[in-house]
Amino acid sequence: MNIPRVLNRKNRILLKELTKTDFKLRYQGSVLGYLWALLRPLMMFAILYIVFAKLLKIGNDIPHYSVYLLCGITMWSFFTECTSQGIQAIVNRGDLLRKISFPKYIVVVSATLTAVINMLINVVVIIIFAFINGVDFSLSWLLAIPAIFELYILSLGIAFLLGSINVKYRDVTSIWDVLMQALFYAVPIIYPLSLVAETSVKAAKIILLNPIAQAIQDIRYNFITHETITAWNYITSPVVVVPIILTILTLIAGSMVFRKRSKFFAEEV
Amino acid sequence: MKREIGTRTELHSEDENAIVVKNLHKSFRLPTEQAFGLKQAFFNRLKGIKGYKDQNVLQGLDFTIKKGEFVGIIGRNGSGKSTLLKILAGIYYPEKGEITVNGTLVPFIELGVGFNPDLTGRENVYLNGALLGFSNEEMDAMYDDIWEFAELRDFQDQKLKNYSSGMQVRLAFSIAIRARGDILLLDEVLAVGDAAFQEKCNNYFSSLHKKKQTVVLVTHSMTDVRKYCDRAILIENGKIIQNGDPKTVAKAYLNLLS
Repeated sequence: MNIPRVLNRKNRILLKELTKTDFKLRYQGSVLGYLWALLRPLMMFAILYIVFAKLLKIGNDIPHYSVYLLCGITMWSFFTECTSQGIQAIVNRGDLLRKISFPKYIVVVSATLTAVINMLINVVVIIIFAFINGVDFSLSWLLAIPAIFELYILSLGIAFLLGSINVKYRDVTSIWDVLMQALFYAVPIIYPLSLVAETSVKAAKIILLNPIAQAIQDIRYNFITHETITAWNYITSPVVVVPIILTILTLIAGSMVFRKRSKFFAEEV
Repeated sequence: MKREIGTRTELHSEDENAIVVKNLHKSFRLPTEQAFGLKQAFFNRLKGIKGYKDQNVLQGLDFTIKKGEFVGIIGRNGSGKSTLLKILAGIYYPEKGEITVNGTLVPFIELGVGFNPDLTGRENVYLNGALLGFSNEEMDAMYDDIWEFAELRDFQDQKLKNYSSGMQVRLAFSIAIRARGDILLLDEVLAVGDAAFQEKCNNYFSSLHKKKQTVVLVTHSMTDVRKYCDRAILIENGKIIQNGDPKTVAKAYLNLLS
């Protein structure tokens, strides 16, 4: 795969148009249309906030806990949307694959870009919430960008890897759904990591080795409060690079499998 | 799961050949039972069942298409014509053999690829255009002509699901004919629309012929073969059984049917 061909003019046009279509179709026929991109995570936030912060009184010791929670939920939704849409992209776009010849990664990337757009819209909401909650504006917000990027790279890697397998074995979609339900609780989104750290330091460290947890904590640290536990301030050994390495390895493995299998997508899908 | 892979090379040279195909083979793995699942795949492996059987679709094709030639590919249903076209287009991979494509190639395996019933006519035009490699700006420039040719101007902001199937095909055809490439691959796209629209299509194909556009046309219409083609290739059971003068080959095809 040589770089000039990957991003040549024709492929750029195609990527842009497919992303636009994906986004348009997502909210076709609904009264509120694009508003749903905002409303979905906000509603999930409202439910979790009432249950965990108000009824179970978790996270009262964390400053700006509601923004903290919203931020975690948004980033988690971004990850789930990116992966599940990305995994299904090849199968969903089977009609195109069977009729025109183009680099197959475009359909996967365009599906994930729709998730990126949704996430960006939600970031605007988080910023508004942050202002209302009195989170101080600071330049360290910009440091959250690499962590968001890491989350995207990880999602893309998973989408390439599992999406390739999903063409032949559609079970992957269902397995991934279940796996994500489990993963949701393995990532400190609804519970603060400090709660785990109080009982077991080791457990907290293991949780942080998961790239999703590490990225979300980094985003919170830079965006909301420096009191957030992150891999960098909590794990002192070189083990701290594990999440980064996992992310890179996922992308490499995903790209390799995808490249090898993509030749046969048109026949198998 | 090792599979041999042939080669498909694209180049842009002054050579007089537009397409060269050498010893092209292709077979498909058809699942024998429902093999779309991990469970089935697992049990198949356990029982030592392959789970698929190989269907040899193309068995050693050799031919050359020169620049400026209008070549018809004919054959009965299931003879391998469409598979051949898809391999030429780069959609399927050749299993064995060599393919050289000299020049930019524009395939029409089907009209209106990517058309979405939930989008308006306007949105579909831009989407379909993008799939043919046109940017937004280029589409802007030819937008009016497309609707003019399709005679559907009043419907441009209607959703595509409200179009009749004939209207959809007309719109798709109007976009398709804007595509510019050195080689056009067409899969049975002539038979669309009513008599008046057919006339327009005929003119388009005659103009292609006159312009010395390189065209590979898969068709069942012997009238078209005789009218437009400089040469015809008859495929039967994945092999070329005749390659030459369109009238002779069309006759051989009709004999095959009777």
